[in-house]
Amino acid sequence: MSTETGPKETGQRSRKMLASTAAANAYQKQFGLDLKRRVVDDGEPFAIVQADTPHELFHAMDVPIITNQWWSAYISAKQLSGRYFEVMAAHGYPENACKYCSLGLACTLANDPASAPWGGLPKPAVLVARMTCDCIQHVFGQWAEALGTEFFPMEAPAWEHKDPRWFAHSRDQWQDVYDVDRIALMVAEMRDLIALLEKRTGKRFDEAKFQHLMEQINVQEGHIWQAAQAIGTARPCPVSIAEQMPNTMIPQWHRGSDWAVAHAKRFRDEVFERIDAGLGASTNEKIRLMWIGAGVWHDPGFYQALEETLGAVFVWSMYMPFAGPQYIRDLQGRPMEALASRICGMNEVLHLPPWMNGWMVSEAERCGIDAAVMLMPPDNRLSQSGNKITARSLEDAGVPVLVIDADMVDAKTWDHDTMVAMVRNFLSERGLA
Amino acid sequence: MTFASFASVGPLLPHDLFAASGRYAGSLCWTLGRPMPFAAQWMENRFAPWAASILEDWAAGAFDAHEAVVFARADDNAQRLYYYVCELRRRGVIAGGPEPLVFDSAQGPRASSLARTTQAVRGLAERLGVDDAALEAGIVATNSARPMLAAQPATSPTCLLIGTPPPDRALHDAIERQGWHADGAALADTWRDPGAAVDESTGDPGGAIARQIHTSVIGNRAFADRAAALRARLTATGAKAAVLWYSEDEEAEVWHLPDLRRVLDAAGVPALALTRRLWGPDPDAADRIGTFLKEIGT
Repeated sequence: MSTETGPKETGQRSRKMLASTAAANAYQKQFGLDLKRRVVDDGEPFAIVQADTPHELFHAMDVPIITNQWWSAYISAKQLSGRYFEVMAAHGYPENACKYCSLGLACTLANDPASAPWGGLPKPAVLVARMTCDCIQHVFGQWAEALGTEFFPMEAPAWEHKDPRWFAHSRDQWQDVYDVDRIALMVAEMRDLIALLEKRTGKRFDEAKFQHLMEQINVQEGHIWQAAQAIGTARPCPVSIAEQMPNTMIPQWHRGSDWAVAHAKRFRDEVFERIDAGLGASTNEKIRLMWIGAGVWHDPGFYQALEETLGAVFVWSMYMPFAGPQYIRDLQGRPMEALASRICGMNEVLHLPPWMNGWMVSEAERCGIDAAVMLMPPDNRLSQSGNKITARSLEDAGVPVLVIDADMVDAKTWDHDTMVAMVRNFLSERGLA
Repeated sequence: MTFASFASVGPLLPHDLFAASGRYAGSLCWTLGRPMPFAAQWMENRFAPWAASILEDWAAGAFDAHEAVVFARADDNAQRLYYYVCELRRRGVIAGGPEPLVFDSAQGPRASSLARTTQAVRGLAERLGVDDAALEAGIVATNSARPMLAAQPATSPTCLLIGTPPPDRALHDAIERQGWHADGAALADTWRDPGAAVDESTGDPGGAIARQIHTSVIGNRAFADRAAALRARLTATGAKAAVLWYSEDEEAEVWHLPDLRRVLDAAGVPALALTRRLWGPDPDAADRIGTFLKEIGT
C-alpha cells in the first residue's frame, strides 16, 4: 500500500490534483526516513505486522511497526519484486507460492544488503499476523525464524453471525455484528500481545493513552467517512481513487496521531471545496467505475487512463469508504473490545460472503456506480475469495463487472496498455462507452 | 435441535464427539475430472477441486440425506466453502439440503486458542445433543479403535508420500507398482483421522477433546515442527525414498518443501519433488515416480 508513484516496470504515473495528496506523500516520505532511522540506525525495538492486526496497540506504546503489505509495496515500487521471486525459487519454493505475503520473507532470505531497501530489515521484537488464510502462519513463522525472533499468531475464528448489512450496524452494535465470543478471543490475544511487547521493548501500555487514541481515530475516520459520503453523491466525482487511496491509507497507517487527524480533516475540506466549485477528477465524467481489489501499486496511472477519452472515472475503491463501517466505533467504555471488533472482521468483510457482496452492492448503489472492475489474483485464494459471488451480486443489481486476472504486486502479469484496452472494450461491449 | 444424520468436510474434527452422537455418516465424498458448471459460477479457481465437487453435488441435492454437515475451520478450503454454502442457501440458489455448521478449532500456541477450541467442542456437542456421559463413552470407544487405524508394518521398502494429501490413491498405486510400500495419507484419510488418543476419565470430556485438537499435528494450521516430524517418520518407517507432491492450490504445506528436502538430503534419502500438480488423473506424475523408484531400485 505504498503511495510512491515513480516510474514502474510497466505502469504509468498517476495525475494528482489535490494539495492534500502532495502533503500526504511528503509526510509519508519523511516518515519512511524517520522509521528507517529509528529501526535501522538507532536499533529501536520494532515489530513487523500484517495490515489487519491491531496497530493501535503499537501506536499507543510508541513501538514502531513495519506493515508487511507496506513493505511489500515498497519492495515492488523499488522494482525488486522480480528479483525476490527468483530468490524464492532458488530457495526451493514453487513459483506459485503466495506472492503478496512473502515478498518481505524473500527480501530477508536474499540477504543482500547492497540491493535491499534500507539494506534489509534488522531483527524485530516480534512479527504479528492474523491467520486469515492457510499460508500466513507458515510465511510468518519462517520469516521470524530467518530473522531470529518470535512470531505472534492471532486467530481468525469462524464467524457464525452472518449479517449482509453489517455495515449499517457496525458502529454502535459491534458486539452483535462481530460476535461477543470472537471479540473476547481477540481481547485475550491483545492482552497477551501487550505483555509480550512490554517485555520485549521495555515500554508500558497506558490505558488512558489508548483510550485517547481510539477517540482520535474516530475523529479521523469520521472526516474520511464524511468525504466518502460526499464523493458518493457528488457529480462529477471530485477525486479519483488514485488520490482517495493515499489520503485515506497514509493517515490510516498513523491512525490517531495529531497529524493523521489533521490530515483527514484537510483532505475532507479539500474534497468539499472541489465539490462546491464543481471540480471533477475528469472534465468529462460519463461513467462511474468501482475498483474491487487491492491497489495496483505498480501502475497507479491505470486508474486515470480513461478519464478524459471516455469519461470513465474510478470513483470507488474499498479503502476510503471502509473508514466508516470498519473503523469508526462507539467505544461504550470498552475501548479494547471496540478495537477487537474493528480488527476481528477486517479481512473477512472484504473477502467472504455475505459481508463482501452485501457491502459492495450497497456501496455501488450509494455511489451511483455504472460498472465495476474486479482484480482476480491468480495465486491467492484469500484475495480471490468472494469475488464471483460479489460479481454476480453486482450484476444482479444492474452493475456490469469486468474481472481482470492479475497480481497486485507482480508487474510481470500486468501490461498497462493491455489492461486499459480491456476496460475500454468491456465498457463498449456493455453499452457504456 | 439434534440431527438424525450428519456428515463432515475437512480435517481435524472431533471424531470422538461424532462417535458419541451415533449419527455420524462420515465425510462427504468428491468426484473429480467432470464438468462442474454450478460450482464454476460461484467458486474461484484457487479452491481445491474437491471443494468445487462438493458444492456441485450439494446444489444437486446429493447430500440431502443428511440433516447437517460440519465444516472444519482447520482447512481454508473447507471453511470458505462453508460461507459459500451458507450464502447460496440464503440467496435461494441452493434450496434446502443439510444445515451447514462450522467447527471452529483454534490451534494457536496460547491458552486463549485452547479456550476457543474447548468452546467449539462444547457448542457442537450441544448442537448434536451429546451430553458429557455420552461424550466420555465416545472417547473410550474411539480410543479403542485408534490402534486399528494405525499403519500396518511394511513388507517392502518404504517410500514416503509427503506434501498435499492427494485426492485418491493413484500416487500410492504408482509407488506400489514399483514394489515399494507407500507411506502417506490420502485426503480422505486425513479427514477421517481421529488423531492421537484423548485423555479418558478427566471429568471434562469436552476439554479433553479440545486439548487433543489444539495440539494436533494434523492439518495445514498445525503449529508442528514439520522437519522434526519428518525425521521421526524416517526413523519409524526406515523409509528409503520420498515423493513430495504438492497440488497447484496448495498454500500451506508447500512452504516447508525446502526444509523437508534438507532433512531428506541430510538423511541420504532420495527424493522426488512434484509441485504445482493438478488434481485428477496425473499420468506424468505416475511416470516420474516410476522412473525415480526404478533408478533407486528396491
